[in-house]
Amino acid sequence: MASLYVHFPWCLAKCPYCDFVSYAVSGDGRETIDHAGYADAVLRELTVRSGDAEFGRARIATIFFGGGTPSLWSAVELGRVLAGIRAAFDVDADAEITVECNPTSLDKEHALRLRDVGVNRLSVGVQALDDKELAYLGRLHDEKGALAVLSSVVDIPGLRVSGDLIFGLPDQTAETAQSHARRLADIGLSHMSCYELTIEPGTRFGELAKRGRLPRADDARVIESFLAIDELLTSRGLRHYEISNYARPGQEARHNLGYWRGEPYVGVGTAAYGFLRAPNDDAQGAHGFRYRNEPLPAKYMQHTPLSATGAEAEPLDAETMLRERIMLGLRMADGMNVTAAEKDLGVTFMTKERTKDLAWLLEKGRVVRVDEGGDVLLSIPKESWLFANDTAARLF
Amino acid sequence: MSTPQSRIRNFSIIAHIDHGKSTLADRILDITGAVTEREQKAQFLDKMDIERERGITIKAQNVRLKYQAKDGEIYQLNLIDTPGHVDFNYEVSRSLSACEGAVLVVDSTQGVEAQTLANVYLAIDTGLEVIPVLNKVDLPSSDVDKTKEQIEQAIGLDCSTAISCSGKTGVGVPDILQQIVEKIPAPHGNPDGPLRALIFDSWYDSYRGAMVMVRVFDGTIKRGDKIRFMATKTDYEVIELGSFQPFPVALDEIGPGEVGFVAANVKSVHDTNVGDTVTHTLESRRATQALPGYKEVKPTVFAGIFPTDSSDYPALRDALEKLHMNDAAFSFEPDSSEALGFGYRCGFLGLLHMEIIQERLEREFNLDLITTAPSVVYHVWTTAQEMVIVDNPAKLPPPQLVDRIEEPFVKMSIHVPAEYVGAVIALCQDKRGLQTGMQYASTDRVIISYELPFGEVLFDFHDKLKSVSRGYASMDYEFSGYKAGNLAKVDMLVNGDPLDALSIIVHKDRAYARGRALAEKLKEFVPQQQYEVAIQAAIGGKIIARETVRALRKDVTAKCYGGDISRKRKLLEKQKEGKKRMKQVGNVEIPQQAFLAILKVDA
Repeated sequence: MASLYVHFPWCLAKCPYCDFVSYAVSGDGRETIDHAGYADAVLRELTVRSGDAEFGRARIATIFFGGGTPSLWSAVELGRVLAGIRAAFDVDADAEITVECNPTSLDKEHALRLRDVGVNRLSVGVQALDDKELAYLGRLHDEKGALAVLSSVVDIPGLRVSGDLIFGLPDQTAETAQSHARRLADIGLSHMSCYELTIEPGTRFGELAKRGRLPRADDARVIESFLAIDELLTSRGLRHYEISNYARPGQEARHNLGYWRGEPYVGVGTAAYGFLRAPNDDAQGAHGFRYRNEPLPAKYMQHTPLSATGAEAEPLDAETMLRERIMLGLRMADGMNVTAAEKDLGVTFMTKERTKDLAWLLEKGRVVRVDEGGDVLLSIPKESWLFANDTAARLF
Repeated sequence: MSTPQSRIRNFSIIAHIDHGKSTLADRILDITGAVTEREQKAQFLDKMDIERERGITIKAQNVRLKYQAKDGEIYQLNLIDTPGHVDFNYEVSRSLSACEGAVLVVDSTQGVEAQTLANVYLAIDTGLEVIPVLNKVDLPSSDVDKTKEQIEQAIGLDCSTAISCSGKTGVGVPDILQQIVEKIPAPHGNPDGPLRALIFDSWYDSYRGAMVMVRVFDGTIKRGDKIRFMATKTDYEVIELGSFQPFPVALDEIGPGEVGFVAANVKSVHDTNVGDTVTHTLESRRATQALPGYKEVKPTVFAGIFPTDSSDYPALRDALEKLHMNDAAFSFEPDSSEALGFGYRCGFLGLLHMEIIQERLEREFNLDLITTAPSVVYHVWTTAQEMVIVDNPAKLPPPQLVDRIEEPFVKMSIHVPAEYVGAVIALCQDKRGLQTGMQYASTDRVIISYELPFGEVLFDFHDKLKSVSRGYASMDYEFSGYKAGNLAKVDMLVNGDPLDALSIIVHKDRAYARGRALAEKLKEFVPQQQYEVAIQAAIGGKIIARETVRALRKDVTAKCYGGDISRKRKLLEKQKEGKKRMKQVGNVEIPQQAFLAILKVDA
């Protein structure tokens, strides 16, 4: 199984917390983007990527248009890219096809157009339902607008809708955070991603923090919010299936599950990352590669499909890939299948050191082990999710 | 054939660090033609890298030179090199005993320093003829007259014939050689008496075993002789004799007054005690009286050395064994610490010696080590009036069983420009010193004498002395004995578990301040954990200071998708690396640096 990611590198504005590669377009801006030109470049890259022996064999189970703000892209051009993907790869008939949207570039008509070109899932960046908080986060929409957009798209047949929230803003109480989640659940969203506000280097918030000029929320309150959201959404029948994700059973983001299970992904578009398994006879001993495309849209469009599009490639050995599986797998409520990872990567999980560290984690209740049909499954119980990094690092 | 005693001169060079001893020695080798230009690597006599880097001679190197004097005769000059640091005082005294004279090198831009004085007095007490030499006269800041005046006032040496020279340019060096021949007495041993040769250096050679450097006083030592080391009462057969010229040259015999090396299949340098006397085994040829001045060298400073990675323990043991083979003054025995696991308790002659060993272990053997705070040796009297020797604060008997603790004191002499006298006295008082004298070496240089607890000297005395005197003060000390002190052991506790490696013995007046400072320092090093961590300092059961490391409430990444995986994996890999360097004490993980914190506490 593999997935395919398409990066769309433009937004109407750059949010101060966002560390994804995106460029703000001027004014209303939609016209300044070369919709067709970018689609052409992506299509050219698809031809190259599908020519790759490993990728070429991959069956694509999910497609994700991320960004940036891919809801800015004309549905016609996005549809052309989708058609190109289907032509270049073996895409499952029931593939999950998601487009990331901002409330300011989404309405019912656009949603319908997207659905008509083959999209079956929307992920809407709501982030908050409070105008002050939205302003703080640099979002261009307001509470009313966000609610209106969601209400107009949530019941479109053939479209699943997910909403994003950010909690842990300074001065935000757990009640406020919980109320945002409640209102999204009330609308009837079947999937929600609730992220703690993270300050990344290289962002506006990051710069402010570096100079000590960014007020931060108290850890205790952030934790309260995390727990309050969990309590609310769980009670509404959305399962907390990953540290930051909730879904009604069967409505999980399959694309993201692929990342967390260590499955390969084709990345196309400016600054996109891709991850492929190396052929088994790779001379350098690498089991996989992660590449990153040229991050400047103009250069990307100019050079594609030249080899320069794969600007950086990181070889990954089996041990490194195992560490990634640990880091990612333990993010999920279902955890990781250690035995499957060992078989797949040809490595031993239970080294002397890891056995010792695991015993300690098991004893502390930080990790749970289930033996199922000969397989060893490890997961972090929900009450220890707040220390998931420490747990993963110990098992590295 | 050995050289007649009348044409032998044995001498040392006495100088303060940086006063140019090694450069001058190089120049002497150069002038006597002992070393060809190609071989003239700067500072030929300092063999080891570390010595070269620090400019300190650690193991004495000794050279036999040929010099044609103005009388036309060829003389055998034996240059006996002395280590230049207070840690190696005894070695210096033995090296000096092997000579009849000494060249006193004083940097004419710096003047006399405390350490120079100590060694000059040692030379004069040993009965050596001292030839004053003013070095570095090529430098513009050189002040020959003032330096001469200082030498005359401070040491009482006649400087009317003192030689001005420059080890760098070679000016004056031939005059030094001439004066050596003219002024230093020839040896006058009894050529027919029973063999008596002084061991003044030893080292380990992987092909020949332990080798000794000797100065023969009476009789002659020949290849094939059966010899006896009088102090250890062990017998050997001489396999090889020779001298360094400066490269080793084999000899058939070493006669009275001569200096040379002996290889006799000695297994370990621990059998070749510096200061011991070599004689013949055969009773009829055996000396009845050993040469005077022998004493067993005992380490005075102890510290625990632990591998950072416990799997390096065997490698550490091998490395210590190798160093030990070449350094009789250094001791080690297995030690274990709750906090640091298995390691060794090592004994050194002083702080410099300790640093050198530590550096060699890390550099030559590529080991990553934690060294605990150095400790002096305490004499602890129990309530049963038994004396226990304690070189590790962690091993101090419980307070209720201790009647009194005696700590070692040193006689410290500090040489300092007059303007810093106040500051130096204040420092010595602060270190619990007792002033025993003050003397003007010249109008603007003062020698201050103090009795100081050695433990205080170890702590940070030298650094402080340098800082209060802007680097101008120099110090020298010798042990003076043990005195009872109002001492207490301060333990550091982490969530109630003792960090045995951080225990210190301090004067009770200081215990609170030191305990508090240590707790504060530790707090900086102990990372947040998932629970609150209490860092406490305690004397016996009594807590004297407490710091709290607040609990870490969360450690989780909000988002992790396709583009983030490599970066976030690397962050966790780093986190893992950090964990590897931590020691688990009870429930708390403590990074290695925390164990060094104690060395950096200012209180």
